[in-house]
Amino acid sequence: MVLRLVERTAVLLVSLAVSSVLVFGFMAVLPGDPARVALGVNASDEAVAQLREQFGLDRSLATQYFDWLGGLLHADFGTSYVSKVAIGPQIFDRLQVTLWLVVVGMIVALVVAVPAGTVMAARHRKISGLALSAISQLGVAVPAFLAGILLIMLFAVKLGWLPANGWTPPASDPGMFLRQLILPALSLGLVQGAVLTRYVRSAVLDVLREDYLRTARAKGLRPFPALWRHGLRNAAVPVVTVLGLQLATLLIGAVVVERVFVIPGLGSLLLDGVSNRDLLLVQDVVMLLVVAVLVVNFLVDVLYVALDPRLRVGQR
Amino acid sequence: MNDEGGSVSRGAESALGVPASDPAGRLDGPAVRRTAGRRLNPSLVVGGIIVLVIVLTALVSFVWTPYDATLVDPAVRLAKPSWSHWFGTDKFGRDLLSQIMVGSRTTLFVGLVAVGVAAVIGVPLGILAAMTRRWSSELIMRANDLLLAFPALLLAIMFGAVFGASTLTAMVAIGIATVPSFARVIRSGALQVMRTEYVLAARAAGRRPFPIALRHVLPNVTSLITVQASVSFAIAVLAEAALSFLGYGTPPPTPSWGRMLQESQEFLFSAPRLAVFPGVAIAIAVLGFNLLGDGLRDRFDPKLEDRR
Amino acid sequence: MNTYLTRAVALAGSAALLLVAACSAGSGTSSGPSTGANQSLAIGLVAEPASLDFTTTDGAAIPQALLTNVYEGLVKQDESGKIVPDLAKSWTVSADRKTYTFELVDNAKFTNGAAFTAADAVFSINRVKTAWTTSLKAAMDVVQDAKAVSPKQLQVTLSKPSNDWLFRMTTRIGAMFSQTGVDKLATDPVGTGPYKFGSWKRGDSIVLQRNDAYWGTKPFFNQVTLKYFKDPTALNNALLTGTINVIGTVQAPEALSQFTSNTKYQVIEGTTNGEVVLSFNNSRPVFKDVRVRQAIRSAIDHKALLDTCFAGRGKLIGSMVPPTDPWYEDLTQVAPYSKDKAKSLLAAAGATGKTLRLRLPTLPYATSCGQVVKSQLEQVGLKVQIDQLEFPAAWLTTVFKNADYDMSIIAHVEPRDLGAVFSPKYYTRYDDPTLQQDLAAADAGDEATQVTDMKKAARRISEEAAADWLFLLPNLVVADKNITGLPANAITESFDLSKLARS
Repeated sequence: MVLRLVERTAVLLVSLAVSSVLVFGFMAVLPGDPARVALGVNASDEAVAQLREQFGLDRSLATQYFDWLGGLLHADFGTSYVSKVAIGPQIFDRLQVTLWLVVVGMIVALVVAVPAGTVMAARHRKISGLALSAISQLGVAVPAFLAGILLIMLFAVKLGWLPANGWTPPASDPGMFLRQLILPALSLGLVQGAVLTRYVRSAVLDVLREDYLRTARAKGLRPFPALWRHGLRNAAVPVVTVLGLQLATLLIGAVVVERVFVIPGLGSLLLDGVSNRDLLLVQDVVMLLVVAVLVVNFLVDVLYVALDPRLRVGQR
Repeated sequence: MNDEGGSVSRGAESALGVPASDPAGRLDGPAVRRTAGRRLNPSLVVGGIIVLVIVLTALVSFVWTPYDATLVDPAVRLAKPSWSHWFGTDKFGRDLLSQIMVGSRTTLFVGLVAVGVAAVIGVPLGILAAMTRRWSSELIMRANDLLLAFPALLLAIMFGAVFGASTLTAMVAIGIATVPSFARVIRSGALQVMRTEYVLAARAAGRRPFPIALRHVLPNVTSLITVQASVSFAIAVLAEAALSFLGYGTPPPTPSWGRMLQESQEFLFSAPRLAVFPGVAIAIAVLGFNLLGDGLRDRFDPKLEDRR
Repeated sequence: MNTYLTRAVALAGSAALLLVAACSAGSGTSSGPSTGANQSLAIGLVAEPASLDFTTTDGAAIPQALLTNVYEGLVKQDESGKIVPDLAKSWTVSADRKTYTFELVDNAKFTNGAAFTAADAVFSINRVKTAWTTSLKAAMDVVQDAKAVSPKQLQVTLSKPSNDWLFRMTTRIGAMFSQTGVDKLATDPVGTGPYKFGSWKRGDSIVLQRNDAYWGTKPFFNQVTLKYFKDPTALNNALLTGTINVIGTVQAPEALSQFTSNTKYQVIEGTTNGEVVLSFNNSRPVFKDVRVRQAIRSAIDHKALLDTCFAGRGKLIGSMVPPTDPWYEDLTQVAPYSKDKAKSLLAAAGATGKTLRLRLPTLPYATSCGQVVKSQLEQVGLKVQIDQLEFPAAWLTTVFKNADYDMSIIAHVEPRDLGAVFSPKYYTRYDDPTLQQDLAAADAGDEATQVTDMKKAARRISEEAAADWLFLLPNLVVADKNITGLPANAITESFDLSKLARS
């Protein structure tokens, strides 16, 4: 088990190194001169050249790469080409916003998905199970932004119960923070919940087929208690995997919901960065994201071992 | 984008977990014969019908639409549904029904490109990972995990920036982001096949790996490919809509459901039908492909039928 | 003169031109600005600045927020387009039209505490030449010398007479900076205006606070929040639910009906400087033939186009001059809509059936209008291939910088930009010596000559079909009913917050 952990860590480190090269390389081939875009339509050629020099864009790619990487290792994200302020605090700010949204959204998703998925699996052939299946199918089929727009139309514009959009940091006005969080978290959570429900269902179905559960049922336990006692822990393995990955990818994936609800999150920062060719910022955000996904992957691997005793021996 | 290739992958793997018992009997014969006589699976029927309708609509749109879908006619702009324009017209006076019809081609194109790219890269990778030695298999799967770290949306936007925004570039990006889920599912399926007696026998007889892959492994994972393709198809359609909303989707004037939905936003109060038709079309298409995927999965995986 | 021509023009980003102020949370159903209930205002805008420093960063959003509000110039433009005093109480022009003497106001102070003097004015004017990096700075090249005669008197000598120079002094180029307040322009601007910079939540909003030490009439609101929205529907919803009080720039004119039909709101419609131009690459062989250019102008039914792609809001113009400029004439009949004429012109030029690449920036109005243009041109026998280029990055490089295009659509929002846009060095690649002569004469002459010569220039480009002018962007503002002081026309680079009040 220790060996496995060491091996995983090594893999993680190599993956990080490779991905940093990939991310940097991708930025290097983006068309559009960042200095020109930063300076805008009215920029003079001399000013563009000067800015290129100032940002070190005239240096060799290798130098730029190691410079960037060195900075990152010291938690120095550099200075934005466009706004000329430090990137680190900006990313951190936006990350906080997105984390709230994503985490609350995922809680909504879990609250919806775990009971619904379990019932769907346990009552796989009953009307209730089928009805839930149908609802979750519909939920998956609705584009997230459409769900958001419909929620706004109903609860904000028509009924006036909640604000249509905006973001208030929890520290400055907790009440407003909550009111503004409800709709975006719901639209993220319901759609994600519908997706997750399907995984819960199949995970529980898998578990239901296991011998120990059949044995438990044979001993006279009714389906739900049997599941509760023996099954959920095992069903949790694949669900946790999906959840972890969703969390990480949603840091950017939430951008659509951020756009609909005018939330200054990480995804919006990235989109702005791409269209302004604020390449260093884009590079940093993407790298952060990749690190997040890889680390979550790593943690999920470790969690696998913890949750599923059979995996401890290492099936692979 | 409410779902990423990544999140599907491992979940799908477990959902598709190929049973270790008696794989030969299940995987050997053609699916049709094996399942003949079994009760019709409602997901499969409904999903199949929806997909068929979309394909037919797309085919019909090549030879006939009520109007030219891109014809701008300010005289009839924002017309309400009527006998001459069944679904009404948009702000350019274009016939909505014709646009929905032609838009189905974009939807199919989107799915085919994304799924095609994902399958063409992902399937060989998956088989390779299952058939090669431990370290190279590990390398493939780690590279796969690495790709998983780049969200589909991000890849699509970057590709759009590099190669110019178009449906093709966006969907190639979505396809690439879907590769990991294909590779994982196929690998897990292929691993099961590799343990079957006839493959073991073929290997013992000194058959070379490539013929084994082609003659035994690939045919036996087609069911997995179909299921995965169907699910990825649905995801690609949703991705196109999300990208259109962000302005990175199908550029005009090619009709696309995603862009129609996006353009309809300023009419949500004055003419909500402009959002309803493309919105419903997208939802139905996604539903259709998902149901088809579920149906195929249940059909190919008899455990679900035989349970209890 | 030449400097005028080389000056580039600001392009409407997400149509950033118009701003408006909004008031505090009136409706009670929802947030609104969190402080000083009756004294604050929230305005919804579309394009957020990338930086607060317009001396080195381009973009209409920065002067929109800061000019007139935080920074002031010696002179400014009033709503009718006239140049009126601001930090200069008065000014005189010498007989040779080369020397300007400004008398400055006595009591103006920068928000860093320093008093505003002629030395600051000299510093600001000279700084344009040395420290500014946007090519707008070329407008200052004509200045030979600026000196402080006394702390309250400034003398500026030009190398040649230029009407345009004084006009440019009303724009960001003429903003007055403190000699001790230019260290952190990007994040902490210091000016003499009625508002001072408060805070900036990137990706969300900029807050301006009332400058209680302001030398002029103090504004009504003690706090104004400029809130930025990417999505036009979100902007509308914010007003509907009371999060903001004013929509500064309506991006979705089709959605206006939900406000016009509601007595809680007022809708203001005026004009801007934003000409939506269907530009031709005049260096392409096909566009060297004037008949092709004229054919395209005749082929476009401008009325139908405006109705279709901008809900009929906006004004039809026949040249590069908005109605608020002194030399405006109605030139819409120079090229009246006629399919037959277009067809015969194309046939005569042998251009029927040619394929033209219409490369559009990813901006809503360009996308919309482009589809109508395509359809109309195809009805007279041209083929049009639409490409979308990501705005700003890809469009700037491909179309604007490299002129790799046949036609494009963009709103030119800078004031008095005829000369800048129709220049051989600009992306229109329009090389016309006659036009250059008219423009040079207009800049050097007295005011009457300027008007005559500019009229000639405007007619010239219209008759020569140097481009097609699809329409003039409207100033569309929606606000809570009780907000007063909103300007009808948006013709300056700034959104003037100083006159806004709540009744």
